Amino acid sequence: MSDDDRSRARALLDDAAVRMLKASALQRLGIAIASTALALAIGLVVVAAAGYDPVTFLADVFEGAFGDENSIGRTLKFTTIFVLVGVAVAVAFRAGVFNIGVQGQFIVGGFATVVAILWLAPLFPAGTVGGLALLVLGTLAGVAAGGLYAAIPGALKAYGDANEIITTIMLNFIAVGVVGYLVEGPLRGEGNRAPNTARIPEYVSLPSVVFDSPDFSLVGLAVALVVVGIVSVVMIRTRIGYDMVTSGHQESAATFSGVDAGRTVVTTMAFSGMIAGVAGAVFAVMIQGYYSDPGGVATYGFDAIAVSLLAANNPLGVVPAALLFGGLDSAGTHIGINSDVPPQLIDGIVGLVVLFVAAPELFRMAARRTGLGGERR
Amino acid sequence: MSVAGYVERNRLGIGGAVATVLVALALAVALDLPIESIVTVGFIERSLQAATPIALAAIGGLYAEKSGVFNIGLEGFMILGAANAAAFVWLIGGESPTQGDLWLAILAAVLVSLVYSLLFAVLLVRYRADQIVAGLAVWFIGLGFGPFSAVLIWGNRNSPGLASVNDVTVPVLANVPVLGPILFDTSPLVLATAVAAVVAWVFLYRTRYGYWIQAAGENPEALDTAGVSVRRVRYASVLFSGAMAGLAGAVLFAHAGSFTGTGDTMVNGRGWIGIVAYLFGNYNPIGAAAAALLFGGLDMLQIQLQTAGIELPNRLVNLFPYVAVVIVLTVWGSTRMPSAVGESYEKEE
Repeated sequence: MSDDDRSRARALLDDAAVRMLKASALQRLGIAIASTALALAIGLVVVAAAGYDPVTFLADVFEGAFGDENSIGRTLKFTTIFVLVGVAVAVAFRAGVFNIGVQGQFIVGGFATVVAILWLAPLFPAGTVGGLALLVLGTLAGVAAGGLYAAIPGALKAYGDANEIITTIMLNFIAVGVVGYLVEGPLRGEGNRAPNTARIPEYVSLPSVVFDSPDFSLVGLAVALVVVGIVSVVMIRTRIGYDMVTSGHQESAATFSGVDAGRTVVTTMAFSGMIAGVAGAVFAVMIQGYYSDPGGVATYGFDAIAVSLLAANNPLGVVPAALLFGGLDSAGTHIGINSDVPPQLIDGIVGLVVLFVAAPELFRMAARRTGLGGERR
Repeated sequence: MSVAGYVERNRLGIGGAVATVLVALALAVALDLPIESIVTVGFIERSLQAATPIALAAIGGLYAEKSGVFNIGLEGFMILGAANAAAFVWLIGGESPTQGDLWLAILAAVLVSLVYSLLFAVLLVRYRADQIVAGLAVWFIGLGFGPFSAVLIWGNRNSPGLASVNDVTVPVLANVPVLGPILFDTSPLVLATAVAAVVAWVFLYRTRYGYWIQAAGENPEALDTAGVSVRRVRYASVLFSGAMAGLAGAVLFAHAGSFTGTGDTMVNGRGWIGIVAYLFGNYNPIGAAAAALLFGGLDMLQIQLQTAGIELPNRLVNLFPYVAVVIVLTVWGSTRMPSAVGESYEKEE
């Protein structure tokens, strides 16, 4: 890409950002709700067309998401991960960098966490203190690994002009392949029949508070919310965050004020990848307790794109959007067990949500035509 | 654009490709690898088969981008094309479909892809959807609804073995050494793709409509002034790209003989590689097909290494194409995008 093209790509992003900013908070909320509702409606039509009862399906969705304590715990478990990966995407998109590689960074981060804990475990006393130390070190390893893995496409974009959308997608495939190879062979736990690493010690875990669930802890959710707080402060109140956002919106202005555009891209990617690394660490410690073949790990990092877009790439907005997706995923699990409808439908519905979020004009026109919404533009 | 002109403009790219091949050869000699048992006739045949879907998707994608619309949803359209082709074969032919059923299914899958891409084009062109986000959405939709329909039909994300396309054997010519098995005893879809690449090149660079497509991407105002509807040209290009990607998925299925919906499905990044193939081919259909062949060859390398007795873990060898894509993009990221890509065009009233 020549400079000319780069400025054009930048202009595109500016345009998208301006359109986003023009929309009021209320309008954005309206678009998010309308997108989700429309996607769900199409999902119901598909359910009916496939010969199932849409009313039962809808009831199953709510039952699976918020029906009892069990399902609420499951919803919050997924929400925790979605908050973290959603914020990771939001940071990059805000800065005008299309990090589609959060899935890969999430995998690499989680894997690094497990490996670090397994390697360091013999050096620490078994028990709460040792567990806490390992937890912290493991998370740091995950953060470092996620950040480094994201810095690669950042550097390739900044200094090699390689389109980050494509490189990050390729790096997702590479992460799955390499980690998959490692858990299959060299790092497979002794005597494991399945391609998994050994289990991390029992005492390295998050304590269960309120919810008595083996794979959800309110502490994990709290960590996620703390990360949201930190990211919001960094993005709004610090020089680094300011540089990232301005170079996302107005590259020339940022350059004039002395921002090194290339370095900002790398920083942004690394920051985004570090958050994805936290997500990987929480997933590995709280949910799995070991690392399995990432080919079978859910696609949190991709759904994160939908989460972030629904939130208009605002770190705070990610929280409710993540709750929605946590609910959908939890419903998917419930449906997979208790209903004949293939749970893959939920993935399709998520795709439709993203599609509609991409076309806010659709709803604006519909609102104007029907006279609803009362938007005067 | 003449061949000489193409060479002139793409010296770096061609030089890069030649250098890559030379380095690979030098490495092979230095490490004393058995070249004869790696580069076999069978390998070339398999590489061509592997390249076919990538090339078809790439040709479609480059038409859309030439017209000013970045169709990043190729991967998704491919997944849906493969799933639909499998579904149609099952619906038409049941347990033991014939070759005729298979061809009919491919046709049906392409027609359905046309409908999908019409909806996609309306969102992009009329409702000015964000092209990148909407394209990603198509991928997610494919990843969801592709396996969904497989589970619906077969109760499993993977289909049972259905039907794969038979090789076409040209009598006499097939017995010619080397060229015979590669060109005259192979899948007809490989030959069709080669023809498609040439036709796509002629159409884009030698017909009036091809010039309109280029103008819609480079200078939509001028095209508008000349009295041609930019929207209509873009609609047509996006429709074509979706249909080609759907065909690419159907062809992938027709070569494999069954649909795989686990993980990232059987398409497994080939749509994305298609995008890189046309970037590498600098938006030239023939160049894109050649780049697809390069990636197809990398994809098939593992079988060759195995038969040559070189033990490398499968999982890692399978990553060759993805790694190559990253390197190609970085070393050779200097593609010139058409000027108006990504901008929705508003007709002046």
